[in-house]
Amino acid sequence: MSGLISLKKIKRHYDVGGEKVRALDGVDLTINQNEYISIMGPSGSGKSTLMNMIGCLDTPTEGTYEFEGELVHEMDDDQLASIRNRKIGFVFQTFNLLPKATALRNVEVPLIYSNISKSKRLKMASDSLVSVGLEDRLDHKPNELSGGQRQRVAIARALVNNPSIILADEPTGNLDSKSGIEIMKILHELYTNGNTIILVTHEEDIAMHAKRIITIFDGKIKEDKINKKMTKAL
Amino acid sequence: MFSLLSESIKIAISSIISNKTRSLLTGLSIIIGISTVTLMGTLISGLDRGFDRSMDFLGKDVLSISRWEWFGDLEWWEVRNRPRIKIDYIDKIKERSKYAEAVAPVLQRGASLSRGDLGARSQIFGTTPDYLKTTKYGVAEGRFFTKGEDRSGARVALLGHDVAENLFPNQDPIGKYFKIDGIRFKALGVMEKQGKFLGLFSFDTQVIIPSGTSQRLFSKRGFLRISVKVPEDKISESKDEIYGIMRQIRGLKPKEKDDFAVNQTEAFESTYNQIKFAIGGVGIFITVLSLVVGGIGIMNIMFVSVKERTKEIGVRKAIGATRNMILTQFLMEAIMICVIGGVIGLSFAAVLSLIINQFFPSTMPIWLAITSISLSVFVGVIAGVVPSYRAAGLDPIDALRYE
Ligand SMILES: Nc1ncnc2c1ncn2[C@@H]1O[C@H](COP(=O)(O)OP(=O)(O)OP(=O)(O)O)[C@@H](O)[C@H]1O
Ligand SMILES: [Mg+2]
Repeated sequence: MSGLISLKKIKRHYDVGGEKVRALDGVDLTINQNEYISIMGPSGSGKSTLMNMIGCLDTPTEGTYEFEGELVHEMDDDQLASIRNRKIGFVFQTFNLLPKATALRNVEVPLIYSNISKSKRLKMASDSLVSVGLEDRLDHKPNELSGGQRQRVAIARALVNNPSIILADEPTGNLDSKSGIEIMKILHELYTNGNTIILVTHEEDIAMHAKRIITIFDGKIKEDKINKKMTKAL
Repeated sequence: MFSLLSESIKIAISSIISNKTRSLLTGLSIIIGISTVTLMGTLISGLDRGFDRSMDFLGKDVLSISRWEWFGDLEWWEVRNRPRIKIDYIDKIKERSKYAEAVAPVLQRGASLSRGDLGARSQIFGTTPDYLKTTKYGVAEGRFFTKGEDRSGARVALLGHDVAENLFPNQDPIGKYFKIDGIRFKALGVMEKQGKFLGLFSFDTQVIIPSGTSQRLFSKRGFLRISVKVPEDKISESKDEIYGIMRQIRGLKPKEKDDFAVNQTEAFESTYNQIKFAIGGVGIFITVLSLVVGGIGIMNIMFVSVKERTKEIGVRKAIGATRNMILTQFLMEAIMICVIGGVIGLSFAAVLSLIINQFFPSTMPIWLAITSISLSVFVGVIAGVVPSYRAAGLDPIDALRYE
């Protein structure tokens, strides 16, 4: 296990009408390769903010963030975009696919941004879709797919650039329990294949799929423990 | 970078297709603007070419003495009251002028031509062999008539190119006979093809006969002008001289106004330039107006498009699009709307100029097509830059959260 992510004294404050909202209020966190972490906590506790911070969508008001030895808190917009493109795979609660594009095109987009040739792109994108079991849905648009299938397209998109870490913010929040379990199976598979996964959820039984469970409250880490009774989605 | 660009174009096109009506409506002003500018350019460049050819046709170094100015502002009755130009002026001018290289009458009137079943309405004009020196166009086949034939009033004629083809289809007309207003004439030759003057009328449909013959056979009260060939480098001196001689002939006192006109192609040129500037001015006004209106419309649509696609922008940023990539995407969309509008406008203008070409010389030069497409790109960039910049600058988290 080697150090992948290191957050030190991370603060993220918002000014809302002169009042300070401390979305993150001094978070210290180290994440190693091939960890499976779930982040829990009540609504408004700062889970998404932390996730966005780790995913380089947001930069801290204070504190230092190292990602594979690079200092994220000093990066400019383009460097952040590049790190998101190459190192991070996002899976959102609302899927966030491009509505007019086919599954294949959706998965292709990150590769376009990393300037990969067309033929290589198509190969990588379809491989990725095959790995989430959508080999017969390549040419379907999001509105022609079920919720679970859409989320699998989103996972394929997150995986396509071989990221160092996969961030999933409530990935099952918009799915029925059966589709949710399918998604958890895929995540588990990714974990056993050596991927690093961080999962935000407020559902206890979803969180139990992870190896390590972090609970945050009011922008601070309240608990950080190894999950001994890890659920194996099969 | 290339794949990104082609990707941006694809995204732009698909976004335009999915908003066909909206894009078309916004592009309409661009279509109007580009068709106007192209049509105007086409017209002017066609006019220019036709004009240059037509000026050759008349000859810059030929003065034409007649009762009225080509572009005069006299009332018609003023001109009517002027004395006619008389055929005997010719000898007087020849005698007194030191510049005149050739002086020839042109006695013009309408007549009907016939040969067997074939017939045509035409203009005939009587002149002398000196006429050949006052024009660039000579005899293509056969020969011109001689001084002797002119004096004796021989019934001989030279045919304009088209007349020869009409009266003598697939035949050599030389030595053959035809009729002018029922009177038999022998064809001596065929004049060189001249084309249309300003695209309006052509000497190719006319018949030249000796002036002596014309005076004897047809009414003397036809319309007469006198063509005077002068040295090319002495045009204005010659013009002054001819004015002087004509005033002498007419016996005008120093205070009296001219009662004749000495015309020259220059008069055409200045009038032509006025027309050209008028067309250009109106065209540029319409173009600028519609491109500005179109540009504002496109800017507006782009703001709407950015707003509608805020979430998409957030997603794209989350998966690694940089500012410039988003900027390129939206800028390309604005440019595409303009270029598509431009291409439609250009095609429209091209078709229209083909139709106009039936009546008037108009040809679309390639540089004009390139210019108008560049102009569309320019409008697209100007209209798209602010909305695209706004899209590029969106905060990814805010954009993702946007519903
Ligand atoms: N852009 C913003 N401006 C102001 N306050 C914000 C902003 N984004 C988040 N916050 C505040 O930060 C706190 C943490 O928000 P965050 O979205 O991280 O919560 P969360 O734990 O993900 O909640 P949920 O479970 O409801 O998704 C909240 O109090 C929220 O109001
Ligand atoms: Mg949240």
